[in-house]
Amino acid sequence: MNSFYSGPSIKLYGKLRNWFNFDKNNVLQVYSGKIDIGQHISSTLALISSKITGINYDQVEIIKLDTDISPNEGKTASSLSVSDSGSAIKAASLSLRKAFMKYSLKTLNVNFEDIVFDNGIIKDIKSNRSISYWDYAKTNEFNELTIPEKFGEKEIREFMYKNDHKVEIKTINDIVTGKYEYVHDMIFPKMLHARIIRPPNYFSKFIKFTNNIDQKINKLDIKIIVKNSFLAILSTDEYLVVKYLDIIKQNIVWEEVKKLSEDTIYNSLKNNDKESLLVKSGGEAFYENIPCIKEFKDKKYKTLTSEYKKGYLMHGPIGPSAACAIFTNKRFTIYSHSQALYDLKLSCSEYFKVDPNNITLKFRPGSGCYGHNGADDVAFEAAVLSKEFPDIHILLKWTREDEHCWEPYGSASLNKLTGVIDSEGKIVYWSNEAFSDTYMTRPSNTELHNFISYNFINNDFIKHKSTPKTRAHMGIHRNLDPLYDFGENRLVKNLVHNLPLRTSALRTLGAFSNVIALECFLNELAKTKNIDPFEIRINHLRDERAINVIKNLKDLMTKDTQNNGLYRGIGFSRYKNSAAFCAVGVELKVNDDLNIKLINAWISVDAGEAAYEDGIKAQVEGGFIQAASWSLYEEVKFDTKEIISKDWDTYKIIEFDNIPNIKTSVIDKKGMPYLGVGEVVAGPTGAAISNAISEALGQTIKTMPFTKEIITRELLEN
Amino acid sequence: MAKIKCNLNINGKNKTVNIHEDKPLIFVIRDELGLIGTKLGCGLGQCGSCAVLIEGEKKNSCNILAKDYQNCKITTIEGLQTDKGLNAVQEAFKHFNAAQCGYCTSGIIISLSSVFLKKHDPTKNEILSCLEGQLCRCGSHASVMKAIDKLKAS
Repeated sequence: MNSFYSGPSIKLYGKLRNWFNFDKNNVLQVYSGKIDIGQHISSTLALISSKITGINYDQVEIIKLDTDISPNEGKTASSLSVSDSGSAIKAASLSLRKAFMKYSLKTLNVNFEDIVFDNGIIKDIKSNRSISYWDYAKTNEFNELTIPEKFGEKEIREFMYKNDHKVEIKTINDIVTGKYEYVHDMIFPKMLHARIIRPPNYFSKFIKFTNNIDQKINKLDIKIIVKNSFLAILSTDEYLVVKYLDIIKQNIVWEEVKKLSEDTIYNSLKNNDKESLLVKSGGEAFYENIPCIKEFKDKKYKTLTSEYKKGYLMHGPIGPSAACAIFTNKRFTIYSHSQALYDLKLSCSEYFKVDPNNITLKFRPGSGCYGHNGADDVAFEAAVLSKEFPDIHILLKWTREDEHCWEPYGSASLNKLTGVIDSEGKIVYWSNEAFSDTYMTRPSNTELHNFISYNFINNDFIKHKSTPKTRAHMGIHRNLDPLYDFGENRLVKNLVHNLPLRTSALRTLGAFSNVIALECFLNELAKTKNIDPFEIRINHLRDERAINVIKNLKDLMTKDTQNNGLYRGIGFSRYKNSAAFCAVGVELKVNDDLNIKLINAWISVDAGEAAYEDGIKAQVEGGFIQAASWSLYEEVKFDTKEIISKDWDTYKIIEFDNIPNIKTSVIDKKGMPYLGVGEVVAGPTGAAISNAISEALGQTIKTMPFTKEIITRELLEN
Repeated sequence: MAKIKCNLNINGKNKTVNIHEDKPLIFVIRDELGLIGTKLGCGLGQCGSCAVLIEGEKKNSCNILAKDYQNCKITTIEGLQTDKGLNAVQEAFKHFNAAQCGYCTSGIIISLSSVFLKKHDPTKNEILSCLEGQLCRCGSHASVMKAIDKLKAS
């Protein structure tokens, strides 16, 4: 066991009072800078705190993020919630318990053997006198106590708790009874419901209403706001907003400033202007000359090349994005489900030219969040509308079509690979070039144009050029650097410009396509030497934890008999080469009509110390299902004028009829740092599915999604 | 725009509301009656998050008119529990923490209730059939399937 480091959040918020509040009787209120977006972070954090402080889990309450009182722990993204906030709360809890114990023994003038400690109360057995955390929190000592940045092995040894007790997630009772309140459900006196009147595409300028529709509607209890090409409809009656939104859309003229697209996406990925950076060991990208692909002419080497393609993917939460805002007494209060509430506060401050101290962002749950979706946009739009109607709450919801057509997607991508394997089965050369649009267009105070409506407010129809990010595993080059030892690597990140659709951070960023390309191409190379998929992976790994996760997967899969007509594939990754390790196995059937039926799945995961094992399972199993959906069904369709995938009929996702039996094994590394699991499973899942299909068909299908149309096309082309 | 008096029986209670005659049921349930457990997802009858029981049958409430279901027995997620507590489907979901963000969950519970309230041991096909069109994006399906297994076993 090693020392435990409190992490980056404690460096910024080092006082106990930054994390704990004991004002409510018998309740420990915990502050966190992370939000519960369905990953059960509030339950995990409560469990960490409960186990260490000894206060019952049911009496621990995680305060919803409020920028006036919560620590700023950055975004709830990149699988860092448990490693950042979990580590901080673990450190705060260790510190609290130690200080409280010392204070109580001294105040009661007793020894440790003379007390009982139960649910936050220390009682002197002889005198019956007691002191609780709630008493201690009233002292100056509590108020001033600083949390250490590091804890020694001995200090954490006594908290090597077992993770075998089952807890009910904090939100579940309200969810199953319909009481869980989302931002969509907020209600205030005189509140105005709102919708945005969207144009046909990103490059549409508002010209006029026809048939005097705006005047006719204004006579009803309905208001229309026009700010250049940013248009909205509002009413106290939500249904009237929905009804007249459709009517207005039929009575409006937009000018198409430019076409949405000029070519197919894969042609554009290959042919458009691009910036190419060299990615080196460790995962950083550099502006350096890109070396040519090496040639290996000796007969003992076998060289393969391959291309893997993936279309645009959408976040597609079941509930469209929403926000509620009020502007009153020169202050904004915005209720939002954005992952980046602090950034949103600064962006709004910049746009409205209001002191950040006069803007409060309060987290309210939204529908599932898997990255930079519509949450920031809708919050900004609600704030803009609230300025038009001071002292009145505005509840703005996106429509299904808004969500499908206007959210920032996960980019389409292309990976070109070359690999060289020697006669001993050792891979000696590896080249992987990733081509994609950016995954990094979150709004900020310096990039207000990343709010989609900011551009319509300004009639600005230029697609702003992104700059390549260079930090390790950022965006396009996430997991481009293989964890495997392939001798010599040539890794290239290509940020392709002028691609048609709006893109930003979708769960895993570039890792989904990079890991799939890596893991499928690895199988292609292995097949040339008839090497088993487990073996080729283990032979090229040095990290014992990585090897252990793969061996664990093999054990899981071996226990289940493989029936005739079913095919298996595996995939592996360590997310960002620094977060959790995960290996996935899939068993599937390719039906006669070439539809894919998932039968079994096995997941082996090492996320460091398992803070909440059921939470880890829920995350990886949920991630598996979402990635299976991406792999088998999903691609945003568009033409030269508009996005065609406007609803769930035109953008299919996985349903209950194709959910495999899933077995998950969590390797608990007690005493090791928490490693995030929100994204690790996606790449290995896509790879495992692709490799299983390859086994079934005798040919690797290299374009996603693996629909019968694409499979048929690739089989015919071969 | 004409308003009509609409008599609805929701969760065992008779309610009379004055509404626009073309108002979909979901807006009456949520906005007029304050029952927020029924979720607006797509407004197109495609995702199932707005599902309610009408005379025990699952129905999406976003694309049907309230006036057409007067005096029918309508049950929302809030009406599933009785004095004895949660219904069996809710209990099973709670036991397995069968939700992630939870936005789709009430529709899925309603949907399964339409089957399990009628039959103790429905077939796999009957269950999958009732879940058709119940979309979940977070991938809570695996835990939902565990809850279903528990329901079948009990």
